[in-house]
Order: sequence, then C-alpha cells, then structure tokens
Amino acid sequence: MAEPHTETIKHAPTVERAAENDAQTLNQQHKAPATSEATEAPSSGLPQFQLQHWPGQIAYLVILFAILYVLMSRVFAPRIRRIFDEREKTIGGAIASAKSVQAEAAAQAEAARQSLADARAKAQKTAADAKAKAEAEAKASHDAQEAELSAKLHAAEASIRVARDAAMGNVSTVAADTAHAIVEKLTGAPATGEQVSAALAQLQG
Amino acid sequence: MATDPIHQFQITKLIDFGVVNLPLIGKTDLAFTNSHLAMTVAFAAIVIFLTIVTANMKVVPTRTQAVGEQLFSMIDDLGESIIGHEGKKLFPFVFTIFSFILAMNILGLLLTFTVTSQLAITATFAVITILLVLIIGFARNGLGFFKLFVPSGVPIVLLPVIVLIEFVSFLLRPVTLALRLFGNMLGGHVALKVFAGFVVALGALAAGGGFGLLGIPGAALSLSMVVALTALECLVAFLQAFVFAVLTCIYLNDVVNLGHGH
Repeated sequence: MAEPHTETIKHAPTVERAAENDAQTLNQQHKAPATSEATEAPSSGLPQFQLQHWPGQIAYLVILFAILYVLMSRVFAPRIRRIFDEREKTIGGAIASAKSVQAEAAAQAEAARQSLADARAKAQKTAADAKAKAEAEAKASHDAQEAELSAKLHAAEASIRVARDAAMGNVSTVAADTAHAIVEKLTGAPATGEQVSAALAQLQG
Repeated sequence: MATDPIHQFQITKLIDFGVVNLPLIGKTDLAFTNSHLAMTVAFAAIVIFLTIVTANMKVVPTRTQAVGEQLFSMIDDLGESIIGHEGKKLFPFVFTIFSFILAMNILGLLLTFTVTSQLAITATFAVITILLVLIIGFARNGLGFFKLFVPSGVPIVLLPVIVLIEFVSFLLRPVTLALRLFGNMLGGHVALKVFAGFVVALGALAAGGGFGLLGIPGAALSLSMVVALTALECLVAFLQAFVFAVLTCIYLNDVVNLGHGH
C-alpha cells in the first residue's frame, strides 16, 4: 500500500536523486510497468480522475438516461397519473353519491316531518270542530230545556198565585164563620153578620 | 491492496472493445466496465420496479403499488409545490433523475461499485439538468433569460456587483450539484471501507494470539461503526437523491416562472 503511494507522488524527486542512488531508481523502473494504475493515473490518487474512463461512462449514462426519460414520460408517468385520476374520480363519485343520498334522506325526513305536522294540525282541527259542535249542541239542548223549565215555572207560579188568591178569599169566610161560632159560644147569643164583618174589617185594616 | 479504501472506485474493463473509430467522436477506447454494469443494473432495477408497480394498477393499491405511488407522488408534490402548475410537465425529467440517482446510490450499498461516486456520472447528471434549465430558459423567455441575473428592486449602484454574483452563482450550480453527490458518496464509502478494513486487520492481529488478542475489542468497535455507517449511508442514499431532485426543481422554477415572482 505504501509503495505505489511514494511512487506516484514522489516520482519527480526520485528522478532527481537518480544519479545519487542508482539502485533505487532501477528498482522503481522495474516496478513501474507492473502496476498499471500508476501508469494510468500519474498525477492523482483517486480513480475518479482517470479521464480516459470518462467518455464511455458519460455516453452510456446519457443513453440510459434518455431511454429512461422516454419510458418515464410515455409509459410510467401516464399510467400512474391515470390511476391517480381514476382514484380521484372514484372518490369524487362516491362522495357525490353519498351527498345525493344524504340530501334525499334529508328531503324524506323533511317530508315526513311535514306530513306529521299536517296530520297533527288536521287532528287538532277535527278535535276543535267536534268540540265546538258538541258545545253548540249542548248549548242548544240546554237552552231548550231551560226555556221549557222556565215556561213550566211560570205556569206553576201562576197556578200557585191563583190558588193563593182563592185561599185568601176563603180566609175571610172562614174567619167570619169562626167569629160567629166563638161569639155564640162565649155570649150564648149569635152575632149579627154586620157586627162580625165590621170586626173583621177592623182587624184587617 | 485489498484494504485500500480508494480501490473500490477503480474502473475495470469487463469487456474490452479496443479502440473504435466512432463517426462523430473519432477514435475512442470503448469498453464495458464495472461502471457500465452498475448503471445497467440500476436502470434495469428501475424499469422492472416501475413495470411491476404500473402493470396491473388498481384504485385500491397493493403494497408494491403503494410504494411506487408514494415515490411518485412525493416527487410530483415536490414539483408542484416548487414549480407550480407547470411542474406536471417537468415531472418525468425530475422523477427520472431522482429514481436513477436513488437506484445507483442504493445499489452502491448492495454491490461492490457505486456509480454515483464517479465524478463523471454526477457531473453528467448536473450538466443534463443545467442544459435543460438553459434550454427551457431560452425557449420560454428568449433573451429575457438574462433577467435571471438581475433581481428586481436592487439599487443601481449595487447592480453590477449583484449581477456578477448572480452570474457566478449560476455558473457554480452544476459544479455544486455534481460535487455534492460525488463527495457524499465518496466520503461515505471510503469511511465504510476504512472501518471494514480495521475489522479485518485487527481480527488478523487477534488471530496471532498473545497481545494481539487486544485487537478483538477494537475489531468489534469497528464492526459496530460499519453497521452504524451503513444505516447512515442508507439515509444519505435517499437524501442525496431527494436533494438533487429538490435543487433540480428549484433551478427549473427559476426559468419557468421567470419574472412572475416566486
């Protein structure tokens, strides 16, 4: 490892010293053709700077790059792009259909709510109507009965009044008879009609 | 020589075609080297992976498809967030660069040769990128491309200095693109090889017995360093490919949306 190193880097100095040390120079001249690297890369340690290998590599890379670019732009990229678009479309379609289904469901729910509200309103109206009708009927029958009762009441009151008047007419006759009887029992002598009626008139007045 | 940490970067000819006289370039030493082999493997790996991913795509992805889509949409989102709407058109280029560098970096960890540690390769990537930037810049803006070097709202007095700085920074873009990737890969793999070499050297010392047994803890420590560095290199392999893609997007955005503000 050390020998090629000194060979490549210290080549010039060793040539200068050649006259002083023949043996060393000879030794190196023998070795120089044996190691091909030293002859191919006289100025550098890195094989990357061996310029004779550059054109072949560059040309080959450019060719491969061109082929790969064409494949990429004509085949692979469009294929992947297509599946991306397809996926986007699928997802978009699924989302759209989900949205439409959701909208439909919302509409149906709204319709159901509407019909429920209608039914409720109808029921309330029916109930109110029935109630009003019943109330009207009840009121009518109540009024009729009341009229009937009041008519009966009036009739009864009139008959009572007649009866009372009749009774009140009888009271003076009964009182006169009673006064006759009392006077006869007390005095033994019957009182005259004029005297009794005078007394009764006095009492009544 | 086996423990030389630099030796792993040596280009060796696997099939030698000898010196060929090509129509445009002239006489060239043509050979299929280990670098060509690694590039081919990386290329084939990408093509096979993407073929598997995209062969039978479903709306609900399988696991393999999900991995491919993840990489795809990562670069796609990157391009769109940096460049905007035009990013979709430039996506194939950015994704080609990203996947190629990523495949080369990862294969460098698995195989014996790392293509992206070759300066010739990283420089080619950088030059391709900057050439595209120049082509798009001139095609879309014409001579207005030079507005790139004249930021708006700069005082007249400072303008010459600013323009000079902008111009130099533009010239340095391909250099930094190439050197960043090259340096990261080179350094990481040298460090890996050095610590791996310690394991062997100290192990050999311990095999000698006696005081050499003290080499065992050192070898164990080196081995754990190799494991830790390998984990780090996996991160670096992905990160450098991603950084290259991000910078490509930023440089492309400069010329695509020139004068539209950012």
